[in-house]
Amino acid sequence: MAAIQIDHIVKKFGSLRAVDDVSFSVESGEIFGLLGPNGAGKTTTIRIILDIFKPDSGQVSILGGAMSEAKKDRIGYLPEERGLYQDIRLEQALTYLASLKGLTGADARQRLDAYLERFDLNQHRKKKVKELSKGMQQKAQLIVTFAHNPELVIIDEPFSGLDPVNTQMVKDLMREQREKGVTIVMCTHQMNQVEELCDRLVLINQGKAVLYGRLEEIRHQFAGHEVLVKPVGELPIQIPGVVSRESHNGTVLLHLSQDVSPQEVLRGLVESGVGLERFEIAMPTLDQIFIEVVQGEQKVG
Amino acid sequence: MKKIWRVFLYEYLRHVLRKRFIFAVLSLPMIVVAMGIFGVIMVALQYDGRPVGYVDLANWLANPVESAPDAAELFRDVEIVAFPGEEAALQALEKGEIQGYYVFSKNYLESGEVRLVAKETPSQGAQTAFESFVRENLVKDLPKEVQIRLLSGDRLNIQTLDGSRQSGEGRWVEIAIPLATGVLFMFVVNMTGGYLLRAVVEEKENRTMEIVITSVSPTQLMAGKIVGNLSVGLTQLFLWLVAPIAGLIFLRSFVPWIQSIQVFTPTFWLTMAAILPAFIMVAALMAAVGATATETSEASAVAGWFTIPLVMPYWFMSLLMKNPNAPLSVVMSLFPLTAPVTLPVRFAFTTVPVWQTAFSIALLYVCAAASIWLAGRAFRLGMLRYGKRLALKELFGLEKKAL
Repeated sequence: MAAIQIDHIVKKFGSLRAVDDVSFSVESGEIFGLLGPNGAGKTTTIRIILDIFKPDSGQVSILGGAMSEAKKDRIGYLPEERGLYQDIRLEQALTYLASLKGLTGADARQRLDAYLERFDLNQHRKKKVKELSKGMQQKAQLIVTFAHNPELVIIDEPFSGLDPVNTQMVKDLMREQREKGVTIVMCTHQMNQVEELCDRLVLINQGKAVLYGRLEEIRHQFAGHEVLVKPVGELPIQIPGVVSRESHNGTVLLHLSQDVSPQEVLRGLVESGVGLERFEIAMPTLDQIFIEVVQGEQKVG
Repeated sequence: MKKIWRVFLYEYLRHVLRKRFIFAVLSLPMIVVAMGIFGVIMVALQYDGRPVGYVDLANWLANPVESAPDAAELFRDVEIVAFPGEEAALQALEKGEIQGYYVFSKNYLESGEVRLVAKETPSQGAQTAFESFVRENLVKDLPKEVQIRLLSGDRLNIQTLDGSRQSGEGRWVEIAIPLATGVLFMFVVNMTGGYLLRAVVEEKENRTMEIVITSVSPTQLMAGKIVGNLSVGLTQLFLWLVAPIAGLIFLRSFVPWIQSIQVFTPTFWLTMAAILPAFIMVAALMAAVGATATETSEASAVAGWFTIPLVMPYWFMSLLMKNPNAPLSVVMSLFPLTAPVTLPVRFAFTTVPVWQTAFSIALLYVCAAASIWLAGRAFRLGMLRYGKRLALKELFGLEKKAL
């Protein structure tokens, strides 16, 4: 069952079509990437999913139907515009926000204790929020997002303000949650994190969904006619089917002619007795795909 | 309901448990107690407990009745001492044993003539004690019930022709209640308004808006905030009133007229019935202003306008008292912002038709609910406009493009 199903949603602000006929679904138990350049319509899409904004047209189904007050307790949300009550103790802020997600006082305390320990904030629990560093506040907001054991989590830029150690901790937490069957929608600009964590993604640009599907399929879709090889010795000067080559740190990128397949090139290399440590079809990085798609759209636009 | 309760508790406790609030609450009763102690000390310093004497030339006080001293009184009654002749009384006065002495003339019972001899005017307590002594002895031979009736004096009581309403000298409290409640109303609204505006704008300033709004509905959030912050004001008011009420209960045994005060009259209950929804309504309207404003200072300035209709009944108080059934009086008792003070005042001075009372109170409750809804809508519409103002026509749904 899809945790989120979006069909042809449109949202206009004056003459601007912030979201323009976007459709996608998020399957239960996956980490889904919601990507796009600044101002593409990602945050508006999230706000429509969470019923903060009403779409002008189109349908949204979340956790099996329309958004309701009861469903709010089953959803964790870390928005882009975020903060915590500054003038109260950290413990008090977390307990209050957890209680608004339906946790009783005892449950909230028990879960927050575990998370505060895990995020290394236990010794700061009595401090006022305004006395905490930006990174600490970011971790506290992540605790609020996960403390009530939500079935669906929507997080906007979860790694901003975190050092590498805490970034790893959050990634581990997200993977752990996925293992438990939690659905996570992650909105980020950090493509390396998407490559590492996401099962599927949608790329929104200028309000439209321009890429949608499994990460590997998208990369295959954008893969050029190139292979990466790492020979044991030297490569022959002439390789049938190869039109040019680029070397970098012992690895060579071979650009193939259109009428030859990578398998034929591999067979030719093996038959000519070249030793190979590595031979793989060169896949573009998500960064490259992102830039290619967005710049291509801009040219078209 | 559970979430409204949680928002309420959070809003209430974070103010009430602060040192600043505790200090503010304690300061007034402490000042009152300090002033009370100062007053008692001043009275004690001026208190003259020496007896007063009398010389009975009319010979009518052969076996005088003496008032039983009240053991509970802070300052005991001044003793009344009989002297056989004026010489002995004068001697005692010269020695300073008495404050002064009264001389009943030979034909006192016919003429009522009494002469006071003293170096200085005897204390108020001495004069009162002597007057009571004389009164009690003048009526001592009459039947007991007649004595009590004569000594308690007259009480004027005015009743309407149909007997449904009455008013008497001891019922001034009935009129004072709506007036005093109105003043307290404005006080609490101003105090609560400050807390409330901060609490609403805070969601914007701290950027907690989206987290909160995806946890509770705007109406639940606003209801919790409004009732929570209103309760902070009411708690402060209650604690401030506890001190004078405790003082009155304490003074009841010393000051007899306090015992005659009737507080829990129909006017009192009507005032309470009107004031509760009025509090919620005004607080909710202030919250709506807070939700549409961008900064606390801006919201405070706009909220000041709400106090104007609240003060209006005081401008027209003379009309309300002299002509409580005039069209303006009726309209003001039906209009929600002026009703909390006007309706009870009219009620104290005239027989208000039942439909007017019922309509006014019902309208107040409807307006209170509508104001909470409006505050919730203002919050929903204004919440994501960081630094942008919400137009009134958008708030009332006149603008087509809502969020």
